[in-house]
Amino acid sequence: MIKDKTKYNIIIIGSGFSGISAAEILSDHDLSLLLLDENIHFGGQLLRRIPEEWEESSFSEPEKIKRIGYDFINKVKSKKITLMNKTILLGVYENSEILIEYNKEKTLTLKYDVLVFATGARERFLPFKGWTLPGVYSTGMLQVLIKSSGVLPAKKMLMAGSGLFLFASAYEFLKHGGELIGIMEQSPLWNKIKFFPQIFYQLPKFMEGGKYLSKILLSKTSVKYQRHIKEARGKNYVEEVVVGKIDKNGKWIDGTEKTFHTKALVVGYGFVPNIEAPQLAGCQLEYSLEKGGWIVQVNDRMETSIDSILAAGEITGIGGAPKSMNEGKIAAQTILEKFDIENKRKQATPLKKLIKERKHHMSFVKCFNSLYRIKPETILGIPDDTIICRCENIDMQRIKKAVQMGCYNPNSLKISTRCTMGQCQGRTCAPVIYDILQVLCHKDPEDIGLFSIRPPFKPVSIKALKNIHGS
Amino acid sequence: MRIKSIKRKQKVKLTVNGKEIIAYKCETVLSALIASGYKALKTNPASQEPRGALCGMGVCFECTVTINGIPNTRACMTEVQDGMVIETNDQG
Repeated sequence: MIKDKTKYNIIIIGSGFSGISAAEILSDHDLSLLLLDENIHFGGQLLRRIPEEWEESSFSEPEKIKRIGYDFINKVKSKKITLMNKTILLGVYENSEILIEYNKEKTLTLKYDVLVFATGARERFLPFKGWTLPGVYSTGMLQVLIKSSGVLPAKKMLMAGSGLFLFASAYEFLKHGGELIGIMEQSPLWNKIKFFPQIFYQLPKFMEGGKYLSKILLSKTSVKYQRHIKEARGKNYVEEVVVGKIDKNGKWIDGTEKTFHTKALVVGYGFVPNIEAPQLAGCQLEYSLEKGGWIVQVNDRMETSIDSILAAGEITGIGGAPKSMNEGKIAAQTILEKFDIENKRKQATPLKKLIKERKHHMSFVKCFNSLYRIKPETILGIPDDTIICRCENIDMQRIKKAVQMGCYNPNSLKISTRCTMGQCQGRTCAPVIYDILQVLCHKDPEDIGLFSIRPPFKPVSIKALKNIHGS
Repeated sequence: MRIKSIKRKQKVKLTVNGKEIIAYKCETVLSALIASGYKALKTNPASQEPRGALCGMGVCFECTVTINGIPNTRACMTEVQDGMVIETNDQG
């Protein structure tokens, strides 16, 4: 049982690739370390897997990077560090304190010398009419269902969206006996050519992409480019989906609509960094389209603008597991230097080399994120009666009206419409609202700014809050 | 729909809206519900329309159900337990 106000040398928020890579190095040294994660299992999204006690024959040997990740998890679990799963970060405070909720109804305040944010990314959504119908799932959900529980959301379904992850998810679905009606990709096919200069440093990614495509092509699934969802229809859940063509600027082409009958629709438009916690901590953020939107600013030692707070992984730029692992290692080395402790491992990669490696990862990040950006014309084309904020049921028309009345920044829009004030606290709609404000106000993201964040930044029961400081 | 090639271990019984369903230990409540054909899991308080899981990883809060009497519990972040009583909050 951890006492309230316990102090740790290091607290790492998030056990995905960057968090686990940092923890793996730090746990070898004489430092008190807490690694916490909101999920049931450690390892973040990529390292989800079928329970070890189940027997499975259709899941092939995991690729090298995942094997390294599983190895890290096992190592960390065997070390004398504090591991907390199912633990939600509720707040970060100036006096080096964080507030967490664990076991559903208990809260704790903990202190740290060094805090590492490794909060990862979530999915980016592009609202269309009917996206609130049950039976519309994200690519991430499809992956979670398959990888953690061995469940398919439907035997036969349609997929739409943009990016490598869409194809990775299609691959997983087909491999486990699913049937695809089609894959409707938002971006044009010729776009992918821009990837080729990356082949030298990103060979494993190319191989992976090839594996996905060959499986999809062999299954005779129809893959269409420059397609966009017009509407999902159904009474109580998805029954049919209308898809049409968009031009190279992302503008809708009338008269190209085609209707598909399907019981499930899986959509994915890439990722958004989870910057809420660092934002609350006061870390300097920056907007970079090439890095995936709003990200945490770090120097090449992964230090943020706030003393004793580091950031690693997807929150510094969407780039996948190899980048996250590299940044987790850099963060760990920086921390060891801070505590004036020598890295016990003789074969450890020197910090200088890791920093050099990171440059290659960052060049991939820039190429990758610019490929799949959602075009302003597509944002402008969102019909008035499309729900934007799902929790509060706010549609595009209400947002447009509020903007016409002078709500040019997120917080005035929030006060005027209640958008982002529901249970998800804007995690689903805020990124798209930033995009909408950009195109409606013709302003730069920095001028528009961000929704303000306050603790507790995830829903928490009154019972849990009542227990703060044992009161 | 459960992937057939997987040999699952311990079965558990859940009660969903008064009806018994079978799930397997280590599954999440969400995957058990989806595997048993549940799509709508809650009613949006503003629109009174049915909603179901979207993100599957704790972000969207569209899969919140009542589990053992505790409301607003994310089905995707909760593992099944034998005898669990689940109420979906959709009106369908």
